[in-house]
Amino acid sequence: MTVSTLITDRQQCFQLKTNFLPCTVLQLLRYDLEALEQQIKASISRAPMFFTGSPVVIDVEKMQSSGEVLDFSKIKAILVANGMVPIGIRSSNQEQASAAGLPLLNLAKTSTLEKTKKTEQELPALTTKVVSTPIRSGMQIYAKEGDLVIVAQVSSGAELMADGHIHVYGALRGRALAGVRGNTEARIFCQTLEAELVSIAGYYLTKEEMQKLPQQEGVIQIYLQNEQIKIECV
Amino acid sequence: MAKIIVVTSGKGGVGKTTTSASFAVGLARRGYKTAVIDFDIGLRNLDLIMGCERRVVYDFVNVIRGEANINQALIRDKHHKELFVLPASQTRDKDALTQEGVAVVLEELGKTFDYIVCDSPAGIERGAQLAMYFADHAIVVTNPEVSSVRDSDRMLGLLSSKTKRSEEGREKITEHLLLTRYCPKRVMNGDMLSLADVNEILAIPLLGVIPESQAVLRASNSGTPVIVDQESDAGQAYSDAVSRFLGEELPHRFIEEKAHWFKRMFRFKDKETV
Repeated sequence: MTVSTLITDRQQCFQLKTNFLPCTVLQLLRYDLEALEQQIKASISRAPMFFTGSPVVIDVEKMQSSGEVLDFSKIKAILVANGMVPIGIRSSNQEQASAAGLPLLNLAKTSTLEKTKKTEQELPALTTKVVSTPIRSGMQIYAKEGDLVIVAQVSSGAELMADGHIHVYGALRGRALAGVRGNTEARIFCQTLEAELVSIAGYYLTKEEMQKLPQQEGVIQIYLQNEQIKIECV
Repeated sequence: MAKIIVVTSGKGGVGKTTTSASFAVGLARRGYKTAVIDFDIGLRNLDLIMGCERRVVYDFVNVIRGEANINQALIRDKHHKELFVLPASQTRDKDALTQEGVAVVLEELGKTFDYIVCDSPAGIERGAQLAMYFADHAIVVTNPEVSSVRDSDRMLGLLSSKTKRSEEGREKITEHLLLTRYCPKRVMNGDMLSLADVNEILAIPLLGVIPESQAVLRASNSGTPVIVDQESDAGQAYSDAVSRFLGEELPHRFIEEKAHWFKRMFRFKDKETV
């Protein structure tokens, strides 16, 4: 089993990763090719390095609909002629996009709104799981769709997971992963922090990293702020 | 119905078989009819420690498979008439054990015996799981060393979830910690985990501390469980542990470095001033 995994690791030639790259969005306010070219040239003259070779998404969401058919190939040509690289279109009109031969990149606003709405709806259904026996090495406790409260010690090699918060009243020596399904508001509360690893919504700190931080005395809370794990006394 | 005791640790070489042998002898010496079973199928050791290796005819697997009855397989100890050994098979592997088979053997023994001591193999596989499955008491043997402590912790987790008592939702197995190969001098030098360190991590009642002792190796090689050697510190420590198991309250010995005679005098003086 291990041998075969090793071999495949060595043989594989790529890995799939999700990544977020900065990219310029060109929000078109009205369809006027001449004005577009003039404005682009003016912008480039102010900051030539910024625009040359930079990937651009053409966004027509903000355009007042006048019913006219947009010729994306012309817009594309203007951008290319000025050294930019158009990589996609953001538009509610699918036909417009497909006509231009660029991929549709409607991902941001609507989907995030739906997401936050969803989590708000899920919240009332949260249930709390309470465990009062020691969590020994090798044990795994998961509080699905809720908080986890441990009223005992958690040994090194044990793993706590919760969709919500994690509270430990006893020494925490194992791993604690709060918000495992992406809830960035989840927190971990404990009295003594000797954990091997703490994680919130996938962001984590190992014991080695935690030992470099100033030691905290008393009741400790761990939360996520600006994609960074914060450890502080309550 | 006999009380079933499992001697377990997770890690190998910490003293499970030594403990099983001494514990069984200790119980037999106090008049309890005791059987000790070697669950380490394929790596038969208990018979050597008990000094009955030359009298093995049938073994545990033979009984499970119906090739011999339990009385044919049990070996009576030469020095303690209340003590019987059920050896493991050296030629089979651990898959020869079945839960039903073990249940039948334990039930049969339970009719006539007071205590059944199950000597668990190392690891967390089938043999170890079956050794603990029917237990009422667990003696967790731990060395004062980080990997042994972690493995013991893992075993405590299994004891609370993978046993008959836990599955039936009955009162949980009574857990006892036995710290073996303890060396107070090395603890003082910081080379070894202290009793307090181990207690803090495992947090179960302490049955006893067995000091690191030359007597253990000598006893193993001569096939007489170390508890028989009452001159030795390890032998006395095992005796104490058996007494505590049976409900006596005894102070823990062998947990402090023996002080030099004049240091002892100073300590005496300190006590007086306080």
